[in-house]
Amino acid sequence: MNAAKGLEEQLPGTRSNGATVIATIFKFQSLFGLVAVFILATILDPETFPRPDNLLDVVRASAENGILAVGMTMVILIGGIDLSVGSVLGMASVGISVLLAQSGFGMWPAIICVLGVGLVFGILQGIANARFKIQAFIVTLAGMQVARGIARIWSGGQGVSITYQSQGGPVSDAFAFIGGKTFGGTVPIPAIVFIVIAVLAALFLRFTTFSRHVYAIGGNEKAARLSGVPVLWTKILVFGICGLLAALAGIVHAGQLNNGDPNDGQTYELDAIAAVVIGGASLTGGRGGVLGTVAGALLVGVLRNILALRGVNSDLQLIIIGLVIVLTAGLQLLRPASMRA
Amino acid sequence: MLDTLSGAALALQKSITRSVGELMGNETDGGVPLVAMAGISKSYGGAQACVEVDFAIRAGQVHALLGENGAGKSTLMKVLSGDITDYTGTIHIGGEPRRFARPADAQHAGIAMIHQELDLVPALSVAENVYLGREPRTRLGTADFGAMVDGTAALLERTGIPIDPRRAVEQLRTGEQQLVIIAKALALDARVLIMDEPTSALSSHEVEQLFGVVSELRAAGVGIVYISHRMDEIGRIADVATVLRNGSVVKEFDVGSMTSEQASEAMVGRKVEALFTHESVAREAELLEVGELRLSRKRPVPGRRDPRGISLRVHAGEIVGLAGLLGAGRTELLQTLYGVGAKGRLHGRILLNGKEYRPSGVRNAMASGIAYVPEDRRIEGLSLDHSVTANSVLSTLSTIAWNGFLRGGSERDAAARMVERLGVKTASVRTAVGALSGGNQQKVVLGRNLVTEPKLLLLDEPTRGVDIGAKAEIYTLLTEAAKQGLGVLLASSELAELIGVCDRVVVLRDGVSVREMSTARLGEAELLAVSMGAASLDESRGEDG
Amino acid sequence: MSVRKIGTMAAATACTLALIAGCGTTTSADKGSSGAPQQQPKCGGPNGKYKIGVSQANVAEPYRERMDEDIKKYAKKLLPQVTDVDVQDGQQNNAKQRDDVNNFITKKVDLLIISPNEAAPLTQAVKDAYNKGIPVIVLDRKVNGDQYTSFIGGDNKDIGKQAGQFVASKLLTSGGKVGEIRGLDGSTPAKERSDGFKEGIQGKKIDVVESQSGEWVRDKAQQKAEAMFKAHPDIQVMFAQGDPMAEGAYLAAQSAGLKNVKFVGIDGLPIPSGGIKAVEAGRLAATFVYPTGGKEAIEAAKKFLVDCKPVPKNQTLPTQQVTKENAAQVYTKLNQG
Repeated sequence: MNAAKGLEEQLPGTRSNGATVIATIFKFQSLFGLVAVFILATILDPETFPRPDNLLDVVRASAENGILAVGMTMVILIGGIDLSVGSVLGMASVGISVLLAQSGFGMWPAIICVLGVGLVFGILQGIANARFKIQAFIVTLAGMQVARGIARIWSGGQGVSITYQSQGGPVSDAFAFIGGKTFGGTVPIPAIVFIVIAVLAALFLRFTTFSRHVYAIGGNEKAARLSGVPVLWTKILVFGICGLLAALAGIVHAGQLNNGDPNDGQTYELDAIAAVVIGGASLTGGRGGVLGTVAGALLVGVLRNILALRGVNSDLQLIIIGLVIVLTAGLQLLRPASMRA
Repeated sequence: MLDTLSGAALALQKSITRSVGELMGNETDGGVPLVAMAGISKSYGGAQACVEVDFAIRAGQVHALLGENGAGKSTLMKVLSGDITDYTGTIHIGGEPRRFARPADAQHAGIAMIHQELDLVPALSVAENVYLGREPRTRLGTADFGAMVDGTAALLERTGIPIDPRRAVEQLRTGEQQLVIIAKALALDARVLIMDEPTSALSSHEVEQLFGVVSELRAAGVGIVYISHRMDEIGRIADVATVLRNGSVVKEFDVGSMTSEQASEAMVGRKVEALFTHESVAREAELLEVGELRLSRKRPVPGRRDPRGISLRVHAGEIVGLAGLLGAGRTELLQTLYGVGAKGRLHGRILLNGKEYRPSGVRNAMASGIAYVPEDRRIEGLSLDHSVTANSVLSTLSTIAWNGFLRGGSERDAAARMVERLGVKTASVRTAVGALSGGNQQKVVLGRNLVTEPKLLLLDEPTRGVDIGAKAEIYTLLTEAAKQGLGVLLASSELAELIGVCDRVVVLRDGVSVREMSTARLGEAELLAVSMGAASLDESRGEDG
Repeated sequence: MSVRKIGTMAAATACTLALIAGCGTTTSADKGSSGAPQQQPKCGGPNGKYKIGVSQANVAEPYRERMDEDIKKYAKKLLPQVTDVDVQDGQQNNAKQRDDVNNFITKKVDLLIISPNEAAPLTQAVKDAYNKGIPVIVLDRKVNGDQYTSFIGGDNKDIGKQAGQFVASKLLTSGGKVGEIRGLDGSTPAKERSDGFKEGIQGKKIDVVESQSGEWVRDKAQQKAEAMFKAHPDIQVMFAQGDPMAEGAYLAAQSAGLKNVKFVGIDGLPIPSGGIKAVEAGRLAATFVYPTGGKEAIEAAKKFLVDCKPVPKNQTLPTQQVTKENAAQVYTKLNQG
């Protein structure tokens, strides 16, 4: 049972012996929320919802948001925010499409190149935030515009479609794998990418000194600095990782739609933030974890799925999902005082 | 000890003429008390915070509330100020039974709590803060700033607070801000003032100013609850004292007939061994030499007193105190040595173990064997939400990790060793550090620094807000570390601490080291006098700015 | 078992559930590229009961809102066998719309009507539905390839051309200066309407002095038109590719004090805030109806599901020119159905 160790990554080792049921529920609120919504959905639609293909499609549909949210979790853990991820996703989806369909890149060079662009973009934002002390909100608000602009220029303002060699286009069929399914055509690749990233990030946050620095900065930046934590580098790297993951999500996006559109990914940053918040992280930093975030992203995914399956009006869906976000955020206020310290 | 101090203070500050003894007889025993709390009990979950507590506040009386952290002082005062509503027992205000549903009700009844955290709006002026939320209006319906300034000026005049009502609160020093809060409470017709550790962030000079105001208020018939850990202050300012332990009243004193030892004993529940155990050791090798240290900056920042000429030495095994008023540059010196001071050019020399040392950042300082315990553990020392483990291993992660990877449990083991070594009282190493008492929080900060095995330890106000039991333990820890060859530079506003713990004291004034004294025969009054040497000069300069 | 362990169990369960659930299913991967669906759609005849899924690109646009309403209205009227019309809003987001289509596949709707946000990104989703045996009617914007049942839409190029001819023959008979406000750059209708318009005015001494994108919306168009009127106060006709943009340009002219400029729009929505009413009120000189296709989609659905007859692969809807003379009449007619 490897998940047992992953659980502790939420907050580096607070309380165990005296942990009450309530404390545990609050700590893993999104997980319990996910289970609750899951059960509710199964009751509401026992025929369609629990079908394996539907569940896998929920994971697939949550993959892009989930990958963005994992990166966002790290930024929020240091007390920052990254509003640029949606635009970086758009930029990366355009980038991979242009490189593959127009510039004649092979699949791996194109992927590495686009991931590199995301990483560098994130690092630059990190430098602006950590070195030049511009608030993360402002830096990434600007970054959001810049990435969108780059996406427009890179694509010439038009959607760039990916047509494969088997369809008479220029793109190697190998790339079709990203939007496809594996294990005999059952498991969507984006779902696998999402789960792999989530597991890696959870292990990373559990077993590295870097992660301790991340939590320490979010908990109290001044104290972290005085304790010898390399605050500057940690912050820059966290933004870099977030940019890298946003680019990865963009590649998955393009692979799924066979298209890179400069307008894609708008407001995705807000969905990612929502997943992190539902996951129980604190926007002031220092508290939260990948497990909660992943459960948060899946919770929203299951909710969207069941609402659509039940044919709930689209406008009403927006309201319901909004209420769920407020509700889970409000739950945090009910946390026992001892947990807030 | 108390005698010498109050003697010195009398000589220094004329406003204290209305001193303890005079007031006690006339005012304490008369009529209906302003507040009478009877049989107050309150529990959190299973833990009893207050058990059947009786407590009365009379007009014109300063009532000290004593007890270690967790003894129930804060809970009792939260009950009185309407913060806690689910208690049992009764409260009579001026003879009338009352039960407050919210803090605002208590305020309307004339009870004002002055929090340790200052509730002021930094960008607004003193007058605007005093009238916040009930601004007088002109005929046009706009806020009448003139009336606000006049009203505030009159109020400040009456209470003897020398602050310009037009100044922005953020430009004031902590002590002045505290006085503004008191003024604000008075503007709301407070008849009972609850002051929780009001002097913890004040310099000796500001403490005198505060005491002057307290005396004025007492004379005006205000009832004051005074919570403090500093026995010397209690002796000077309070009329009566109530000691709480484990949520119950264990003793009530007339302050005139109370000794510091009796009070400590009542608080701790056993005889307190001598607070200070330090004995000077033979001087070993010179560890730190600072010569004519000066920091020049392009743009000086108001309120920061960077080194302007500091010379001192610390030997291995020696504890050297840094004395001085608030704003004398003690914190700034420690920060500069640790490499986190203001940016600018450093002049003069710093020798560490005989080799030249240029402060350039935390990691450099740590590599050179310097550790630093900052002034305010809540702001600069700890991540309160995080566990004892996370907080105690932060500086030494690289030594427990393998190429950046941590084995499960390795941090917890390291933290457990630290907790054991320093005697930190915590339920578990996984408890959030914010749930510990102030003293134990301080031990975690200290422990995190000691496990880096430093050669030189820089301490800034290491026992602020720490109860008396933990204080003694911290002193013991320091003394033992020094015995093993650690050099310590300790900045403190507590004169008794400097004299009791340190081998020598260096007095700073305006960023300059003005005097070095051996503590062997040094009295607190003398140390205070030297620290304040240029107080009058300081004051006039402050008014210019 | 401690609370912690229970939490652990829950975590492990939730994390692995999806993976475990995945075992044992055999959904065939789609490799087909021929026009025929892999599973033949069933025709249930007049006694069947049908669920229709509608995947709308963006309900926030009045044109698309009207399309949804038309579909619902005519489904009630012409196809009583339909028990449920489930409309999902793609929120102008390709990925969201793809998820909506996937959910319709999972729900096994009997017919899918989709108005795609964009062609390329939704081709795969439409293909998936079609290959699962769900008849797919594509409205307004095409998808790539031929794996759908029927496409119904207007001819944007033709509409643009008719607008151009109208300007040349009715408004600027002896030539003149025209400003153009385009739709969102990169969208197919914007390009087609532009190309058609140019074709319509070709050789008539009409000069398009400036062309800007108003991104289909009124306020953007108003800003762009203000700037254009400043730079070219001699513009005589403003052609906007959408009625809301034409109205925005009208407002810009009003505030610039230009009373003689004529405005031509496209869309002609028969709603109170639509272009037909604007023509009737004299703010626009003309608009060209861009039909929603809602009625035609339901007619096709009826043919396919109830009458069990084939439907044409492509159906182009004609436009109608609306001027002051026929505005009231067209408005009434379109709202009668």
